[in-house]
Amino acid sequence: MTSVTATPCTSFFTRHEFAIRRLHSLTGIVPLGAYMVVHLTTNASLLNGTATFQRAVYAIHSLGALLPIVEWGLIFAPLLFHAIIGVWIARTGRSNTSHYTYANNRRYKWQRITGLIAFVYLMMHVWHLHGWVHFSHWVELGERYGFAQFRPYNAASTMAAAMASWFWKAFYLIGMWACVYHFANGLWTAGITWGAWISAAAQQRASKVCTAIGLVLLVVGTSAWWGAISTDPVAAKLIEDQMYEANLKAGVVPPSVEKRTQPDPVLGEAAPAVAGEAEASVAPASE
Amino acid sequence: MIAPAPLKQNQPSQIRVRVLRQDGPGQDPYWQLFDIDYEREMNVISVLQKIAAKATTVDGKKVSPVAWDCGCLEEVCGSCTMVINGRVRQSCSALVDRLLQDNPDEIVLQPMTKFPVVRDLLIDRQRLFNSLKRVKAWVPVDSYYNLGPGERLPRVDQERAYPLSQCMSCGCCLEACPQFNKIELTQEAGETQEQFEARKQAAYDTAFIGAHAISQAMLFNQHPTGKALAGERLDALMGPGGVATCGNAQNCVAVCPKEIPLTTSIARAGRATTVAAIKNWFEGSGEKKEQRVGE
Repeated sequence: MTSVTATPCTSFFTRHEFAIRRLHSLTGIVPLGAYMVVHLTTNASLLNGTATFQRAVYAIHSLGALLPIVEWGLIFAPLLFHAIIGVWIARTGRSNTSHYTYANNRRYKWQRITGLIAFVYLMMHVWHLHGWVHFSHWVELGERYGFAQFRPYNAASTMAAAMASWFWKAFYLIGMWACVYHFANGLWTAGITWGAWISAAAQQRASKVCTAIGLVLLVVGTSAWWGAISTDPVAAKLIEDQMYEANLKAGVVPPSVEKRTQPDPVLGEAAPAVAGEAEASVAPASE
Repeated sequence: MIAPAPLKQNQPSQIRVRVLRQDGPGQDPYWQLFDIDYEREMNVISVLQKIAAKATTVDGKKVSPVAWDCGCLEEVCGSCTMVINGRVRQSCSALVDRLLQDNPDEIVLQPMTKFPVVRDLLIDRQRLFNSLKRVKAWVPVDSYYNLGPGERLPRVDQERAYPLSQCMSCGCCLEACPQFNKIELTQEAGETQEQFEARKQAAYDTAFIGAHAISQAMLFNQHPTGKALAGERLDALMGPGGVATCGNAQNCVAVCPKEIPLTTSIARAGRATTVAAIKNWFEGSGEKKEQRVGE
C-alpha cells in the first residue's frame, strides 16, 4: 500500500489529459465551429453584391476597440489551443487504414489530415488577410510581402485583389473544404465523446445529420469563395468609397486610415502621412 | 447440414504459409515460408499443428516449430488471437478454405502488433489485463458478512449487459485501434526486477486504456453490486489514457469477434464522465485523489 501509490504523475498533459481533450473538443464546436459558420455565411453574402458584404463588415467593425479582444479571446486563442493540442492528439495515433478499410477508420484518418491542412491554412489565411496583430511596423512588413492585405472598409475589393492569383484561389478552396470536413466530422465525433448520441442507430442518425450540415456548409463556403474570386476589385472599390463617404457623413463609421485602401480618394492626399501614426491595436477583419 | 461441401476441381495440393517469427522478446522478427499439404475443413490452428509436425521451411531447412497459443478452439477464450492476412482475428475460427478464397497464394500469419512478442506468434497481453484492473472490472463481493441476495435486474438491463459480458479479452479491439499503440519496455542494466515492473506499471497506467476496458467499466457500473465502485471506475476513465483518448475510428466495434457494441459503451462512458466531471466541479471537495490514497 505504501510504494504502489508513489507512482509520480509525470507531465502536465498526462495529469490533465481528460480536461485538455474535452476542452479541445469543446473549442472545436464553440467558439471555432460556430464562428466558422458565421464567417462563411457573412462572406457568402458577397454573392448578393459588394454593398451587402460591406454592410456586414461595418456591423462587425462597429465593435470598435472591443474587436481585438473578441478576435483574440474568442477566435485566435481558442484556434491556437485547438490547433496545437490537435497536432499533439494526431501524433498519439497511428492510422491503419490499409489493413482496416472501414469508412469510420478513413474518417478518423481524414479528420487528422484535414486538421493539419486547416492548421497551415488558417495560420496563413489570417496572416494573408488580417495580419494577426496590427502593430504598424508589423503590418507594413507583411504588406511588403503581400500579406495583411485586407482593409475592412474596402472589404470586397481588398479581398478580391488579395485572392487574384491562382495560388491563393486554390489555397482558399482547399483550405476551406478541409475546415468544413473537419468541422462536420468533428461535430459527429464530439457527440460520441460527450455522450450525446450513444447507440449505434443514434450514431448513424447523427452521422447523417452531420453530413447534411457539412454539405450545406460546403455550399455556403464555396459560394463565399466564388463571391470573392468573381468580384471585380475596381468596381467594388467605387461602391465601397461611396458607402464610406455616406456612412462617414452619417456618423455610422469613424474615419479610419488603416482600415482603408491607400491612397484614399475620400479622405484625400493627406491620408498616407497619418498612416504611420495609426493606432496600433485597431483591428480590421471580417474573420 | 454438416457434410463437407463437394471437393472442387481446382483445390490446391499444398498451401503456402508465411509466418513472421521472432526468437525472443526484443529480437528482430523474420519471415519464414512453409508448405503444408492441403486438407479440407482446416483452420489456422490445424495449419500451425501441421507446421509444428513438419518444422521444415520451403527451402528444406529444419527449424524450430512455430510457437503459438490456443485454448478453447471455439472462439470463446481469445488466446489464439493473431494477425491473419493482415487482419486480427482468432486462428481457431479462421477457416483455411475461406482464407484461400480471399488470397489463394498464401496465408500470412503475424503476431499481434500492439503487444510485446514473447516468441513467434505468442504475445504478452499483460497491458490488456492491467487495463481491466485500472477500471476495477469486477464485482466487489468480498466482505465479512453476508450481503444477502442481489437486486433483481430488469429485463432491459439484462439485455444491455449480456452482450458486454461476452468479452473474452482477446485484444482484437486494441490491435485494430489507431489510438492504442505498442508499449514494449526492456529491463535496463542496473535496474532491479521491482524497479522495472514499477516502470512498466506506470507506463501501462497512463497509456490508452482500450475499448475492452471501457466497455467492461460500463458493464460493471450497471451491475447492482458492481456499481458500488462506479465512481472509482469513472475516475479511472477520466484519468490519463482514459476514455477521452479514444479517437472514434470505431475499428474496435468492426473487428470485435463477439460483436460487442464497444462504441456504444464508449459513448455511454463519454456521457457518464461528462456528468461526473460536472458533478465533481460543483460538488467535489477539490482534494487531490493522491492525497486521499496516501493517508
